[in-house]
Amino acid sequence: MNLINHIKIIVQTTNRFPKPDFESGYDYPERHYFVPNEAFWSYIDIAMLVLLMSFVAWAVIRKQVRWPVILTSIISVAYFGFFRHGCVCSIGAVQNVALALASDSYTIPLFVLLMFILPIIFTLFFGRVFCAGVCPFGALQELVNIKNYKLSKTVTTILSIFPWIYLGFAVLFAVTNSRFIICRFDPFVGIFRLGGELPLILFGVVLLIISVFTGRPFCRFICPYGAILSLFSRVSFSRVKITKKGCINCQLCHNACPVDAIRAPYENKVKENRSAGVNRILRYIIFLPLMMIAGATTMYLLSDNFSKVNKEVQLYDKVSENEIRPQEIQSLELQAFYGQGRTVEELKTQVAAIKKDFRIYSGIIGAFFGLVIALTLISLSTKRTRKLYEIDGADCVGCGRCFSYCPQNQIERG
Amino acid sequence: MKAYERREFLRTCGQVIAGGTILTLFELSLRKAMAKGATYFWQIDPTKCTFCGRCETDCVLPMSAVKAVHSVKICGFCDLCGGYYRPNVKELNTAAENLMCPTGAISRRFVEEPYFEYSIDEDLCNGCGKCAKGCNSFGNGALYLQIKQNLCKNCNECEIAKVCPADAIRRVPIAKAYNLKL
Repeated sequence: MNLINHIKIIVQTTNRFPKPDFESGYDYPERHYFVPNEAFWSYIDIAMLVLLMSFVAWAVIRKQVRWPVILTSIISVAYFGFFRHGCVCSIGAVQNVALALASDSYTIPLFVLLMFILPIIFTLFFGRVFCAGVCPFGALQELVNIKNYKLSKTVTTILSIFPWIYLGFAVLFAVTNSRFIICRFDPFVGIFRLGGELPLILFGVVLLIISVFTGRPFCRFICPYGAILSLFSRVSFSRVKITKKGCINCQLCHNACPVDAIRAPYENKVKENRSAGVNRILRYIIFLPLMMIAGATTMYLLSDNFSKVNKEVQLYDKVSENEIRPQEIQSLELQAFYGQGRTVEELKTQVAAIKKDFRIYSGIIGAFFGLVIALTLISLSTKRTRKLYEIDGADCVGCGRCFSYCPQNQIERG
Repeated sequence: MKAYERREFLRTCGQVIAGGTILTLFELSLRKAMAKGATYFWQIDPTKCTFCGRCETDCVLPMSAVKAVHSVKICGFCDLCGGYYRPNVKELNTAAENLMCPTGAISRRFVEEPYFEYSIDEDLCNGCGKCAKGCNSFGNGALYLQIKQNLCKNCNECEIAKVCPADAIRRVPIAKAYNLKL
């Protein structure tokens, strides 16, 4: 209660002591506060982003060379990573855009919007050139990747669902203005800033050690922005071509690919008759909505637990506990709450609105989770004949490791 | 050849959907982006701040970007300064047990009887807010906390804003990068 009193005093008497009358001709010193020219650096950031992405696109689509990707990676890690300290990044911008679309009070800076949308536009035209080496996270993993141990298909498929789940929760907590979890659990920003929370830095280091032995664990199994880009990359207008000449099915590129994006030839020997095929499609059509409803229901029921991440909800829990059993020593939140003269009723209506938002968005995102899981399962049971080694546009990050392995390219270069 | 055509068709459909999505997303969020004052810095509202001390511990930087600032225009230039000395000190001297600041960042200069001019060494200040609490409790409130924009990394989400009990840390436009009292 002591603090409450003294907060009131601040408001009432800010001038307990009058301004002194100096007789010795004292001059008040001027105090200057530095304001950085943030606009200038954001222009540079956008320019760098476009320039580097165009450079990578030119290299991997027109020229089939890898050195520009390595060069871009070094520039990106140095500039976006260590110099600009990785904030705001395109991955985190997902949350700003989600919040801007959901909330009227939030104004998204144009710069953040461009950070979000430019890589997507480039992906639709050229595939995931952003991931290749422009994203400092991808670049860092690309630079340390030496060995290329393949993970089994089961492991890859199960882990590949995680980015979508992560994306769903990131959007859920962003649209309810609760937390930006992508920023909160960012494993590499601590490395770029040379300081931060120890568990997160350790997580980043572990990821880097893993990426020495297998390609880009963060990009493949964690990155929510990569998940979005993979959708656009799937249908991109032009994409990485390993060689301009014909494929000779030598398998070398398949072994070289760090992200398992090159699909081996496959002959679908099971020729199902027409009615069996129609039945299968029908089963999928029933299965898909069922999964979505199941996901939506589960998430809807859990939404109350998720809402506890929100600060106002936490405050309300503390306040209502205090209303029932007044505590001897009040926490800082309670002191501030009573000190600001807010009423419990006001908070209650606010929290009710927040919880309602949580229920609606949890339901939508749950349906989305169901869709993702169902589509993953369906894609596992769909077989497609391939005569040659083919790049899967969704998974290819355009790192360009395959180019030098292709014997057709070797012949061309002599 | 038939399968190939079907795949091509699906891909074209996908391209149309993808392009449409980008345009809609861009359109919708651009409207939000064009609103006024969209460039933001994090800053503390000194009228809301309760000097809880979390600015010192929760900033992502090893040394918090929050520093105490001193508004000379509202300072009382007191000898017995609530931000400089601890409460109930026996002697008004610079012995460490008498001083409020844990890092010795506040220094003072004698101006004339009985006035002293106070100043803060930004490199030493850790943003704990003890001086601000003292000054606001017993003085004019000339000492208060602000986020120094040259130190702040301008994180997408400010960690201390999320733990601030008084919700005093908000985004402010460039023109008002500091909430100075005077």
